[in-house]
Amino acid sequence: MTDVLVLGAGIAGLACAGALVSGGATVTVLDKGRGVGGRCATRRVDGQPVDHGLCFLHGTDRGLLAEIDAVDAPRIPGWPRVVQGRGTPCHPAAFDPASRRVAFVDGVNVFAKHLARGLDVRTSTRVTALTLGEGEVTATTEAGETHTARTVVLALPAEQSSALLAPLPGLATARALLGTVATHPCWTIIARYDGEDDVLDADIFYPASGALQLVVHDSAKRARPRVRTLVLQARPAWSAKNLDLPVDEAVRQLVAEAAALLGPWAGAPTVTIPHRWRYARVDRGTGLAAPYLVALPGGARIGLAGEAFDPAGGAEAAFRSGRQLARRIAAGGVS
Amino acid sequence: MSDLEELVDRDRDHECAGLGADHVCVRLVGVAKLPTRFGDFRIAAFWNNRDAKDHIAIIKGEVRGHADVPTRLHSECLTGDALGSLRCDCRDQLESSLSKIGEMERGIVLYLRQEGRGIGLMNKVRAYALQDRGLDTVEANLALGFGDDERDYAVAAHMLKSLEVASIQLMTNNPNKIKQLEQFGVAVSGRLPHLLPPNPHNRFYLETKAKRSGHFIDLAARFPEQAEPVVVEGMDLDGLGTEPT
Repeated sequence: MTDVLVLGAGIAGLACAGALVSGGATVTVLDKGRGVGGRCATRRVDGQPVDHGLCFLHGTDRGLLAEIDAVDAPRIPGWPRVVQGRGTPCHPAAFDPASRRVAFVDGVNVFAKHLARGLDVRTSTRVTALTLGEGEVTATTEAGETHTARTVVLALPAEQSSALLAPLPGLATARALLGTVATHPCWTIIARYDGEDDVLDADIFYPASGALQLVVHDSAKRARPRVRTLVLQARPAWSAKNLDLPVDEAVRQLVAEAAALLGPWAGAPTVTIPHRWRYARVDRGTGLAAPYLVALPGGARIGLAGEAFDPAGGAEAAFRSGRQLARRIAAGGVS
Repeated sequence: MSDLEELVDRDRDHECAGLGADHVCVRLVGVAKLPTRFGDFRIAAFWNNRDAKDHIAIIKGEVRGHADVPTRLHSECLTGDALGSLRCDCRDQLESSLSKIGEMERGIVLYLRQEGRGIGLMNKVRAYALQDRGLDTVEANLALGFGDDERDYAVAAHMLKSLEVASIQLMTNNPNKIKQLEQFGVAVSGRLPHLLPPNPHNRFYLETKAKRSGHFIDLAARFPEQAEPVVVEGMDLDGLGTEPT
């Protein structure tokens, strides 16, 4: 039995777990994915990193910036340096003068790996049920393992946290809060091209209309030699409406829009890799201001953190909510 | 140039290490006369480096360099202050502090624009909706951004420093506020209990609250717009949960 069980090894879960461990607690982190980071995700395509979730980090929070500075990996300060288009970025505050932006040459996931260093993280471990015991909560995994702790932190998309909490008694307020949060999906296409990977007019394009919210010149972040790679991400409304679109059709429509935006070359990728993020973006306006921690009858505690639990939005919100929740858990006595 | 206009000049390039973990820094950016139905005041507007809110001070008389200046911290509450909502006592508290300070030789009301801490009114409505459904709101209020926050006191403390007030007498029923301000270097020379004069409105409010909660002042069920309980003149102060615990 550990002091705290954290579900979700995204930025929120890792930030929370790291702070708790620094304070002397024993913590286990479980994640259904193959690696850490959640949406702070990097794939390797023929050995070349591609950020197919969030494409750069940004923020003003001193704790976050200090942690970014501590990452032992080559970085590109100020990236994206040029953006184009009249569409709305996912987080307009990223382009405030006070906000710092950074990308990583080996992919944004190096930040998640940095946060996970020294933590007990079990990946490929999907929790299917939570049950309340005497002053403790037990998580049962798909493989039938159990993990028990007095405090369980759910650092998951609100919809997934809601589903796990549904059978537990006495959490009507937590469920009601989670019910106010909406997380939108995001259709994402990685597109690779032949030929020289010159500089484009911008690092990120935000078209004013159409299905695409942004087109990222991902390979601009990579060391040479590199293969020209774009990451196409569709708008929340389009993604929600077309979540079940056949892959070929989604690729066709989104690639055609990229070609209209960047030129015919962008319409002829040699490789396309689709990715459907089921829970990608917290609806601005549904987010909360702080993490949630509640004691259940008997003394067990449930904590909620994640991007939705801090007004900053994005990875900064995830990080801050995780850290803040860790402080509140520690203040209440860890074990 | 008036005493406060000099401070606007002084603050043009002001940048300091800031107060608290968030390094809160403010600048006095404008001062003007503000005649009100509660008396003749001046209004002082502040910029700050933490949020995009324009925090203001409503100032009676000469305060710069003065000691024992009666001071009230008021947190913005659109539904109460402007719309007269009876879900809270904010308007009564604001009117009472303005009229009391309006009758004094000098005094300050700091009007802090912090409704909902960055998410604002939407979250207050969501918190009210949870209350309407009878859900426990103490923890939910924190998640929705309502609760005591160090940043608020840091902003208030820096505003008082910028106004070069030597010391204040804080109008509050919540001694914790004094501690918080003192932590940021504000000299608090005394506490003035913040009593609302009885009037048909707060009597109605209090009776409604009494009917709903079974108590005149129920701290646990109270939505903390002003982070302190209402106390009406003539009410028995003991046993109402208004003293520090």
